[in-house]
Amino acid sequence: MAYYGEGVRVVAPLVVPVVPFGLVLGYLITQTPIDQFAAWSSSWIVLAGAAQLAAVELLGEEASAVVIITTVLAINARHLLYSAAINTKFSQLPVWFRAVGSYFLLDQLFAVVEPLPANIRQERLIGIWLGAGSTLWLGWQTSVAAGIWIGDVLPTEWSLGYVVPLLFGGLMALSIRNTAGFVAAGTAGLVAVLGASLPSGVGLVVAILVGAVAGATLEAFGDEPNA
Amino acid sequence: MNPMREWLIIVGAGLGTYMSRALFLLLGDRVTMPPFVKRSLRYVAPAAFAGIVAPGVLIGETGTEIEKVLAMIAALLVVWRTRNLVACMIVGMATLWLLQWLGL
Repeated sequence: MAYYGEGVRVVAPLVVPVVPFGLVLGYLITQTPIDQFAAWSSSWIVLAGAAQLAAVELLGEEASAVVIITTVLAINARHLLYSAAINTKFSQLPVWFRAVGSYFLLDQLFAVVEPLPANIRQERLIGIWLGAGSTLWLGWQTSVAAGIWIGDVLPTEWSLGYVVPLLFGGLMALSIRNTAGFVAAGTAGLVAVLGASLPSGVGLVVAILVGAVAGATLEAFGDEPNA
Repeated sequence: MNPMREWLIIVGAGLGTYMSRALFLLLGDRVTMPPFVKRSLRYVAPAAFAGIVAPGVLIGETGTEIEKVLAMIAALLVVWRTRNLVACMIVGMATLWLLQWLGL
């Protein structure tokens, strides 16, 4: 239970941007002629903001099922890389937890778990994972529901949505632990900008792959390891 | 609009998303990765967060907005010095509002 609390504490600042994002999505749902309950339910069925935003827009335009599902999977393909990146920490955990825990693997949860030591005790990893995961989950469900209920009440001229990139910029800075990490981030950022016109999600996955390989290549040429 | 169709699509999208999250966590140590792949995976975090942020900051919806770029730079300097994400978001938003108020 103490570890559950640690997860809640560590993830708390990472939940802040969930609020403006959820309100925007909730409001968009009310402006789209689709089943409101089904659209809100995407929050716990899909549990991925950017992908839900795209899915709601496409459902509203009556796009084909193939187009919608392909778009969602492309936007969410980065999770494959997240799960590969933390898979060694998971290999000793019980199968039930790996199956249930996977459901919560959001960007912010990855940011919380990735820096944890490889030899972390099982009960601590499970506690942090569930504490952080359930906090993000609750924040997201509530924010989207609030957006449906009361609309996007945050004044547009305050640009509050900008806390989302600010948080991820901060997470980027914290995840850079050596020169190779700096090169990985710079390369991925550049590739993502160049690939911004590619179909949603594709540019990002290519950027992550190219950036990660660039970092590893530099490390192989003598930078200190990314502990 | 057909609610049944919407539910089915959302459930399909949810199952696919779950698989993308679960694949390597379920496989665990049944998958062995060559050393270079393992080393690359340690750089997924900085690459992913940079890739998520960069297009939104540098291109934006209406072209590059200089006040957003400057606010991000201020936020990054703060997090580098303090390692504090709350301070990062507060300074970033405060810088953005100040620059918007100054009419840049």
